[in-house]
Amino acid sequence: MVGLFAAGTILLNPPILNLVGGTLFGWPALYLYLFVVWGLLIAVIGLISESSPGQANERDKDSASR
Amino acid sequence: MSQSILVAVAVAYLLLLFAVAWLVERGSGRVSRLTGSSIVYTLSLAVYCSSWTFNGGVGKASQTGLDFLPIYLGPTLAFCLGPIMIRRMLRISHANRITSIADLIGARFGKSGGLAALVTIITVIGLVPYIALQLKSISVGFSALSAGFGPAQPASEPMLTDGALWAAVVLTIFAMLFGSRSISPDEHHPGMVVAVALESLLKLVFLTAIGLFVGYGLFNGFGDLFSRAATIPDIQAVFQEAPANYGYNWIAMTFLAFAAIFCLPRQFQVMVVENTDERHLDRALWLFPLYLLAINLFVLPIAIAGRIMLPADTDPDNLVLSLPLAAGHPELALIAFLGGLSASASMVVVETTALSLMVCNDVVMPALLRIRSLGLEHKPDLTRLLLWVRRLVMIVVMALGYFYMRHDSAPFALVSIGLMSFVAVAQFAPAILGGLFWRGASKAGAFAGITTGFLVWFYTLLIPSFSRSGALGEEFIAHGLFGIELLKPYALFGLEGLDPVTHSTFWTMLANIGAFFFVSLFVRQSPVERARAAMFLGVADPDEEARFWRRTALVPDLMSLTARFLGREKAAAAYAGFARTRGVDPATAVQADAETVLFYERLLAGVIGAASARVLVGSIVEEESLGVDEMMRILDETSRVIEANRQLEEKSQALEAATTELKAANARLQVLDRLKDDFVVTVNHELRTPLASIRAFSEILRDNPDLPTDERLDFLRIVVTESERLTRLINQLLDLSKIEATGSMPADRASVDLAAVVRESAAAMQQVFAQSRVKLAIEIDADPAFVVGDHDRLVQVVINLLGNAAKFSPPGRGKALLALRRAGEHLELSVTDNGPGIRTEDREVVFERFRQLGDTMSDKPQGAGLGLAISQRIVAQHGGRIWVEGSREGGAVFKVRLKAARTKAPAAGRIRVPAG
Repeated sequence: MVGLFAAGTILLNPPILNLVGGTLFGWPALYLYLFVVWGLLIAVIGLISESSPGQANERDKDSASR
Repeated sequence: MSQSILVAVAVAYLLLLFAVAWLVERGSGRVSRLTGSSIVYTLSLAVYCSSWTFNGGVGKASQTGLDFLPIYLGPTLAFCLGPIMIRRMLRISHANRITSIADLIGARFGKSGGLAALVTIITVIGLVPYIALQLKSISVGFSALSAGFGPAQPASEPMLTDGALWAAVVLTIFAMLFGSRSISPDEHHPGMVVAVALESLLKLVFLTAIGLFVGYGLFNGFGDLFSRAATIPDIQAVFQEAPANYGYNWIAMTFLAFAAIFCLPRQFQVMVVENTDERHLDRALWLFPLYLLAINLFVLPIAIAGRIMLPADTDPDNLVLSLPLAAGHPELALIAFLGGLSASASMVVVETTALSLMVCNDVVMPALLRIRSLGLEHKPDLTRLLLWVRRLVMIVVMALGYFYMRHDSAPFALVSIGLMSFVAVAQFAPAILGGLFWRGASKAGAFAGITTGFLVWFYTLLIPSFSRSGALGEEFIAHGLFGIELLKPYALFGLEGLDPVTHSTFWTMLANIGAFFFVSLFVRQSPVERARAAMFLGVADPDEEARFWRRTALVPDLMSLTARFLGREKAAAAYAGFARTRGVDPATAVQADAETVLFYERLLAGVIGAASARVLVGSIVEEESLGVDEMMRILDETSRVIEANRQLEEKSQALEAATTELKAANARLQVLDRLKDDFVVTVNHELRTPLASIRAFSEILRDNPDLPTDERLDFLRIVVTESERLTRLINQLLDLSKIEATGSMPADRASVDLAAVVRESAAAMQQVFAQSRVKLAIEIDADPAFVVGDHDRLVQVVINLLGNAAKFSPPGRGKALLALRRAGEHLELSVTDNGPGIRTEDREVVFERFRQLGDTMSDKPQGAGLGLAISQRIVAQHGGRIWVEGSREGGAVFKVRLKAARTKAPAAGRIRVPAG
């Protein structure tokens, strides 16, 4: 998740952001770029957090025993 | 649209929301089951999207393009770190019953009341503009809808017809009803959460509806929209060739939004305080960013459409309303208005609730409790007081917001005001993150960081915002304080070229983090702080807190104290639950131990804040004075145990290695010991045999003086032979021990000619071979053959080998061959016989001491069994090798291989005269 944070921070901030310009299929390329990267980021967060519920359960037990 | 209809619709809408909340709190039917779902949790998080998103985002997009987005990218990035950051915040807050951001900071830094109060005051000052912004947005929308469209100036209207005033009043009532209906220890407001979730859902649906309407109702799809935008150079410049503009301000806004998602009181309220189940976070981690994405999808298209279709002087913050109106769809405009209203209402309600909690718990109650003359300690029931304090705070906050709006906000766009608040609350981020992840973060550091950050904010953002609206005059911004250019609030120390928010973000964060870090480094933490730090960093268990403060009290005292703030029934129920988990009968227990005291303190902390709870409980408990030393001892115990564990592990590893070595050494010793025993036994046997026969024959001679001369001579001859054998044996033993004692170095190092050695030895053994009737042949292929070594020893080796050959070859037809040849760098000496040979399995052992092949019981030993052992050691000392092979005729071949010397000159060679 920390890696994801780093990747997201780099991809969604200047100067990488400023590399994207012009239009794509008549749409502003930056608009497409931002939403696609954003969507992918969310998808990866979702995959990670939904596929490892064991982690959360374990922690629940942990906190329940306190 | 007439104003009265508009008001009626708005009020009806709010009433509907209230009805939903009321149903939930009543706990009736399906509605109440909604409270425990992760979807509702996620939607309630979306209170983040205030009217700012709904109206301001579009406004900003229409002016400067995509740079409204970092405000939503920041939270997404923060949620990437959610499993680490947010989860820890949740867990700590639940364990300590923390109910606000001020509480969290106060609790982390030694349950500091002062720090909590500071945070609260900053929050209120920082957020008043934000609340004003919501009111402004409602009033602007209201006037835009009722008066058609166009530039709206709410401040110019008389107060009573100002929609914002009525909105403020209604929302205050709303907040009071939801946020301070009753006192409960966990500060859950399920009704409010569900209502907020519903509003979040509606604002998403409404904005999407307008987006679709713009895309497909006003244009032929979004492609058409974008291509038409591309034809207008003005718009194209903003939306399509803007990227070069996104520099520091993009980064600053991402950072601000990142901090805001956990520093804004309303976010903390819905994310942490209202969280009922930690597992909800798992889903919210991706669902909430998805919500943000969805709600922003149509912002840019709507903004572009606004730019294309509406006159240039339209208030950009009103685009969402103006577009449908301009297109002749007032019902859609109404929807847009309700969406904006939803956004504002939920934000204001949650924000004021959170603020009222903070102000009440961290500023008002501690102050009231300190004033002795009020006698609050003796009032039986304080729950009503608490509630009214909170309601009063709500009214005050709302009033402040309203007056700020009327006074100040008109010239600003929504986003600028909102960002100002973001910068203010971002001042807590270093203290919170540092507190959660850095053990060394100290109270003094947090104090310094927050204070300096806030002061810089005050100077670079808040004061200029007043002066821009005319209160202080433009002088201040243009020329700085006292006309000093370096102190210009928007270009502090000459830092120009940044917009005010980015500029302020940079300076506040620099001051804040710098002060926080350095003061933390240089000011020692108090023991209490260290204890709290350990707890927050998960080093110590939260319940271990009981060990730090050994406090005892009487249960009835604690009970009556708690009941005054919480109500008797709730207090009793909570204690009964606690007692059950500990297996104590709540009716009979009188003495409260440290853990019970801690439980009560946390229960109270949920209602009046950690700092106040500590003071209150402290007034009735007996505290065993726990010396600093002892505190440190307990605190450091954990780390010391870890350290000790590590050392133990290292030691045991070392021990294991030592044991292995010892075992190996022991095994070697045991072998040596066995060999020594064998040796002693054999020596014993070998010495006894000749001695016994000497003695026996001597006794016979002594006792029988009349023996015939022949016999007597015979016996005497045996005695002499045996004595000789004994002497030889003893000599050999001495030899062996001498060789073994000298180690691996030859006794003498000289150039020795092996060919000479061979000839010499053969001459010496000539007689022996003649007696044994064995033929000895000699082959010398290398002459001279120099090696480095001891001449006498090498002669001894050859004689030994020849002796064996003579001994074991069959008399009469025995043939022995002594050969010397060169083999590469080595010289090889071999002695071949045609005796019985040596079995393959015995070829290693013949070189051991006293090892005699064959059955020693029946065969008469033909030697001491030391010859080969001695030879082997001598050869080894010369760095060579001796081994035995089988010959073609079945006999044995003993071979010795020695390294040839480089110099052939026998300079140092000793010339030996062959003996005999």
